[in-house]
Amino acid sequence: MILDIQKLETGYGKLKVLLGVDLHVGKESVGLFGPNGAGKTTLINTIMGMQRPWSGTVKFDGQDIGGKSTHLVARSGIALVPQERELFPGMSVADNLELGAAWVPRAAGIEKRQLDMVVQLFPILKERLKQYVGTMSGGQQRMVAIGRALMANPLLLILDEPSLGLQPSIVAEVFERLALLKKEVAILVTEQNVRESLKAIDRGYVLENGAVALEDSAAGLAKNPHVVSAYLGI
Amino acid sequence: MALKRRATILAALSAAATILILLWKPSVINNGLQQAGLYAAIAIPMGLVLGIVHIVNLAHGEFMMVAAYATYFACRATGMDPLLAVLPAAAVTAAFGWVVFQLTIKRALKAPELNQLILTFGIAIALTQAVNILFTSQTFKLQLDYVSASIDIGEDTFPVWSYVFVAFAILYAVGLKLFLTRTTIGKAALAVGQNPKGAAIVGIDVNRVYGLVFALALALVGAMGALFLTKQSIFPSVGSPYTMKSFCLVAVAGIGNIPGILGASLLLGISEQVLRGFRDTRAWADIVFFVLIIAVILGRSIKWRKS
Repeated sequence: MILDIQKLETGYGKLKVLLGVDLHVGKESVGLFGPNGAGKTTLINTIMGMQRPWSGTVKFDGQDIGGKSTHLVARSGIALVPQERELFPGMSVADNLELGAAWVPRAAGIEKRQLDMVVQLFPILKERLKQYVGTMSGGQQRMVAIGRALMANPLLLILDEPSLGLQPSIVAEVFERLALLKKEVAILVTEQNVRESLKAIDRGYVLENGAVALEDSAAGLAKNPHVVSAYLGI
Repeated sequence: MALKRRATILAALSAAATILILLWKPSVINNGLQQAGLYAAIAIPMGLVLGIVHIVNLAHGEFMMVAAYATYFACRATGMDPLLAVLPAAAVTAAFGWVVFQLTIKRALKAPELNQLILTFGIAIALTQAVNILFTSQTFKLQLDYVSASIDIGEDTFPVWSYVFVAFAILYAVGLKLFLTRTTIGKAALAVGQNPKGAAIVGIDVNRVYGLVFALALALVGAMGALFLTKQSIFPSVGSPYTMKSFCLVAVAGIGNIPGILGASLLLGISEQVLRGFRDTRAWADIVFFVLIIAVILGRSIKWRKS
């Protein structure tokens, strides 16, 4: 088990947002769905140490990481592609990618290999290594953010709404690339675009009102009447 | 293209002005350059904390003052030359800065910038008054022979010692440029400045980087404290004009533009010396930097509104 979350509760002030979430990710690609406000981003922030758990456990690679600082979580092998990308706009693509690997022990000594893998995945980045990230389009920045995360040679890659604000053709492309990745790294992805992401995942959770409402394989979710009516819009 | 043409025009104009001043009063250029070196070498460390990691430190000049006092008493007690104290002063000031950062500034980093402003302003007052209580407002000065070094050209005598400040300013600018673009920790500092959240996500210990950059800036300013002491007399409030002028120079250069501080210092140093060249305008020299900062901010605001 790579990521094992049990009975996780957390919130803001007096408001409890996660009411005991159980979720696990093995060597697979897992989707996390649910409406706005269900707690998807809060769950990811708690895994990443940006939000303290109130109770319950977050185990990663056998270690309890609940409440650890973000940079320590990152160094232990979880790479996040945040919703807002959180890149370094005044630095080049090459520097952004380099920083993805520089502080993570798992990536030490294999930066070159990781960079080759990233530019193979996103060939457009190879031509633009010297370009400042702040001058790139949203779609290209999303690729830089995914590339930066992959540079860390992560054990677990978390993507928070990777298709947000992207035109449909690029969304399809991003998911095509993610499907290629799932052999190399465990993936946890939250997504509004359930239809596209079902192609890239093995298993999925539906989070509603701070708790897991449904857990099934991708094929099972695609046939589930609740998922079909609430998320696939048929 | 337009930018390049404007830069060429600006360079030509400043070259013409320099030649005119050189013919009229060569000492203005000589003194102006050395003064500019002093300003730049003190402002560049502020450019690092303010421009790169966005910490407002209004106690900047006061930390230099403390370093100068420490150097003065160390030199008087041991008979050591302050030039030998440059590195120790850097180390001690960096350590002092690290402690101050951990105890105070670190806790205000996530608060609105106004809190940092008030906090560091308070530190500035505390440092000044502490020195005032310990050593009174009396001025201290070391008598050193080498600071009156000069060169005779024709009938004029040009003092040259303060070119050591110019050397340090260039050393600082080049060194920091290399540090920020070539080293992993330098790039981490840039990353933290541009996006602290993004920096934490890639495994950078953000608070540590803030502390390191702050301590590095204080090391540079501590070295300047020892160097400052060679030429100038020191008293409790000697640092405060340098805080203001450094702030002004960093703003004029543009936040984050460390080499630009060299140019801004040149402009300030030489304008001040030109005004000092006339008896009637001598008293105005001290407010040149106000005029400069108002002009630049107005200019930028107008340009910003147009675009």
